[in-house]
Amino acid sequence: MDSGAITVGVAGNPNVGKSVIFNALTGSRQHVGNWPGKTVERAEGLFIHQGREIRLVDLPGTYSLAAQSPEEIVARDYILSGEPDVVLDVVDATSLERNLNLTLQILELTDRVVVALNLMDEVKRQGWKIDVEALEADLGVPVVPTVATERKGLPQVVAALVDVATGQRSTSPASVDYGLTVEGHVDSLKAHLDKAGIDQRKRWVALRLLEDDPEVVGAFRAGDLSDCCLTEDASPIHPEALRTMVRQAERLRESTRPDAKVEIVRRRYELAHDVVHRVTHRVRQDQESLTERIDRIVTHRVWSWPITLAVFLAIFWITIEGGEIAGGWLDAGSSWLIGAIRTWLTSIQAPWWVSGALVDGFLVGVTTVITVMLPPMTILFTAFALLEDLGLLPRLAFNMDRPMQALGSQGKQTLTWGMSFGCNVTGVMASRIIENEKVRLAAILTSPLIICSGGYGAGIALVIALFGDRALPVMLSLVFLSLGAASLATLILNNTLFRGEPGGFLLEMPAYRQPKWGQVAWRAMVDRVAHTMWRAVQFAGPASLLIWLLGNLPPGAPFEQTPVGWLVRTLGPLGRPFGLTGEMITALLFTWPAKEIVVPALAMTYGLQTTLVESEGPLSYFPQVWGPLSSYTFMVFFMLYLPCLVTVWAIWKETRSLKWTLMGILVPLMTASVITLLVYHGGRLLGF
Amino acid sequence: MSDLMDWLWLTVSILLAALWLWTLLRRHSPQDQSFESHHDYEQVEAEDVLKAAYGLEEEQGRIDADALARAAELPKTLTKHALEGLMAFNWAEEDQEGTVHLTDQGAERAQNLIRAHRLWERYLVDQEGMSLDAVHAEAHRREHSMTQEELEALDAELGHPAWDPHGHAIPGPKGRVPSSPGHPLAAEAEPGRRFRIVSVDDHPVPLLAQLVALGLEPGVNLEVVDREDDIVRVRINGEGQPSVIPLAPASAARIFVVAAPTLPLELGRLPVGTRAQVVEIRGGGKQQRRMLDMGFVPGAEVTVMRKASLGDPIEYRIKGTGVAMRRSDANYVLVEEVERG
Repeated sequence: MDSGAITVGVAGNPNVGKSVIFNALTGSRQHVGNWPGKTVERAEGLFIHQGREIRLVDLPGTYSLAAQSPEEIVARDYILSGEPDVVLDVVDATSLERNLNLTLQILELTDRVVVALNLMDEVKRQGWKIDVEALEADLGVPVVPTVATERKGLPQVVAALVDVATGQRSTSPASVDYGLTVEGHVDSLKAHLDKAGIDQRKRWVALRLLEDDPEVVGAFRAGDLSDCCLTEDASPIHPEALRTMVRQAERLRESTRPDAKVEIVRRRYELAHDVVHRVTHRVRQDQESLTERIDRIVTHRVWSWPITLAVFLAIFWITIEGGEIAGGWLDAGSSWLIGAIRTWLTSIQAPWWVSGALVDGFLVGVTTVITVMLPPMTILFTAFALLEDLGLLPRLAFNMDRPMQALGSQGKQTLTWGMSFGCNVTGVMASRIIENEKVRLAAILTSPLIICSGGYGAGIALVIALFGDRALPVMLSLVFLSLGAASLATLILNNTLFRGEPGGFLLEMPAYRQPKWGQVAWRAMVDRVAHTMWRAVQFAGPASLLIWLLGNLPPGAPFEQTPVGWLVRTLGPLGRPFGLTGEMITALLFTWPAKEIVVPALAMTYGLQTTLVESEGPLSYFPQVWGPLSSYTFMVFFMLYLPCLVTVWAIWKETRSLKWTLMGILVPLMTASVITLLVYHGGRLLGF
Repeated sequence: MSDLMDWLWLTVSILLAALWLWTLLRRHSPQDQSFESHHDYEQVEAEDVLKAAYGLEEEQGRIDADALARAAELPKTLTKHALEGLMAFNWAEEDQEGTVHLTDQGAERAQNLIRAHRLWERYLVDQEGMSLDAVHAEAHRREHSMTQEELEALDAELGHPAWDPHGHAIPGPKGRVPSSPGHPLAAEAEPGRRFRIVSVDDHPVPLLAQLVALGLEPGVNLEVVDREDDIVRVRINGEGQPSVIPLAPASAARIFVVAAPTLPLELGRLPVGTRAQVVEIRGGGKQQRRMLDMGFVPGAEVTVMRKASLGDPIEYRIKGTGVAMRRSDANYVLVEEVERG
């Protein structure tokens, strides 16, 4: 059809600007979800070009299509499925040889490929020149130079995509010569495949068998090829024949010196190496690059520590400060809104319970959560994106890896913890940067133990009220306790539940770049933040409505006879071993939607008020009824005990597993309980 | 009457001799059916003699008929015929003093043959896994029927190897045959010294077969355990090789060695600033594949850029960009040092 829809699969290494191109082309018409049955994120977008609908599917960034990690499997399966009409391979021009490793693998899967040669501005800055025409000739597919952050080259990319997808432009993709031996083995395996009746992608299947590819070999052994390699209509093949082929491939692989697996990758790199050397030329003399000079300081034996600490502290400080300022605006705005609605409801003489439920219940919860979570989340995502663009994040992980190894973890977990300091939700989401599944899970489960800005914000108000002059040392001790608890939990998790399976730590250290403040990054971030805030509202609204109901029905009843009073009485015994009162426990239950509402929640459970509306009064009440030990014990438990509801949702989204989500609640709860027990009884022993 | 008898006997003798000669010549020809014409047959024979002649000329500067006969394993009676055959092909000529030398043409043809032979041996051992003692015959079979183009293609395909599996140097397209390095083990062996085998004599084949069966091939590192009464006892370096091998003087004289080079190093142990070349990646599994995909393929150049404050992880430069790894993972990569930091 002339203006039929086109589907494009967007592939490439991590951090090459794939998302930038994706966002630039699709704008706000995006949908983010997950690949079916996997925890890998899938982004899909749409745009119209000359009356034609073009659908982009963003594939996960991978260095290879070796089908070892979920990301690689997803990317490869998608290209194999035949669904994309054309594949857009985004290549980092400053790291051409390694990127071509993926490109050549893609070219083995499909003829319809367009290469976007991105980061051309970086190439120029580093003093190189690339002969794009020669590269195009060598690869046999269209190659379009781009600077995605400045939207340069994108129209040409789209034009090329359309041309290739519609068949108007034909390609003759480069193919790797694997040498006499391997090619000989491939031919003999192809003959077997022929005899067995397989007629699709024979060369590719033969190479994968020779390579001992987990997915293909697995499919052959199971006797079922429908999932992996073949497209639809191929007739069923006898399982025994498939198993024989696997054995044959194994024999051939082992008869080769060196191992066929290594030889295949080596030959591919040889071709990549040849191509790169033909098409790139150094224009400027090579002095010690700026990157190296900066790195000498940033990863210095001595200076790396204060620098790393400084970066984390800077982020922490910006988040808190910025959060406070922005929070103030949002607070003022929401107070006005609440006031206006309340006035309006009174003017139309709505019954007290409508006003109560809607405003004091539902709206208060919603506005509080937005006020508390929106600023830090926005600031954090921005800061993270900028640091990533700059190239600083890998250096931080590099510096912190060795100490984290002692916990059984790795350097990247400090980055997720850093995010958690701002907002636990962002910390959980950031865990995606950890490739090793087990370490990633441990990072997710321990994130809630890190004190977030919501907890910090309300916490410091309480601490000041409770401890007066000693507020600062108390607060510091709580922060260290939180960090210590998270480390301990990580250590224990990685040595029990997640024991074994080491490694997987391979960190790319790109050159430092100037971060681009382009609008393109904003759009995606706004989307993500909006999506999360919407979820938060969906949880917080009904939750705080429920709390209001518990506190205000039956109407007119004295405190003890309300459900809140009942909860306080019932949960009292539960808290005694920990030195916590029933009011505290109930309040902590009510604080689940967002840690910021702990003070009004306490006010409710102590019968001081019946709504979660913030007020000054309660803060002066608690120091009168709590001794120092009770105060401290409460603060400890409060800091650690549970991830807020939104964080629980984020954990669910990342793990897609009920089991791990429940563990995400259980791990902090157990850790908090143990530590609180120790603090309380230890304090008692010490005479507090 | 006796004159007639004499003539008869002489004729019969000559006929018998001719017959015998003919059968002798047949014995040296290859079994291959692809040789169709008698002319090719003769050429193959002559080429074998040529190679022997070439070897002689290298060693002694001239071609002595007796020595030639010995080297080419011809019966003495056919020596003259052999020399004449060489000259018929314009590969040898007699100078004024009557000594025989190879012509330029002959030298070139000999080099090509040797080159083809050794390249084939290389191919058969590396790509088809043939054992050292079997390759000689097979390579011999193939060396005569190669065209120059096929030869160059084979050379390129194998990556221009410098040594054949026995350790002998492979001549370049135009060059002379460089001499093999290495000295006989018999001469060098001292208890405690470590050597690497660089070449093993092709002949006699049964001896070569025995050495190969014991694991004594070019590229193998060994250590001399002791030496008594000219019997050298050695142990091969490497995993699973505990037993000591006694070598008779005849064997030790045919194994050529150089001092053992350093073993490939583990990447994680190299200091900052070192440049090295990847040799192999040990172990299998996901991590190996991941490292290969990042560019740590055999032959790739890697530079040690920096180490984190506590010595771990380590940043390497490979394929143009930086990649950081833990030391324990880096030790799976074996490299050869190119330049010390």
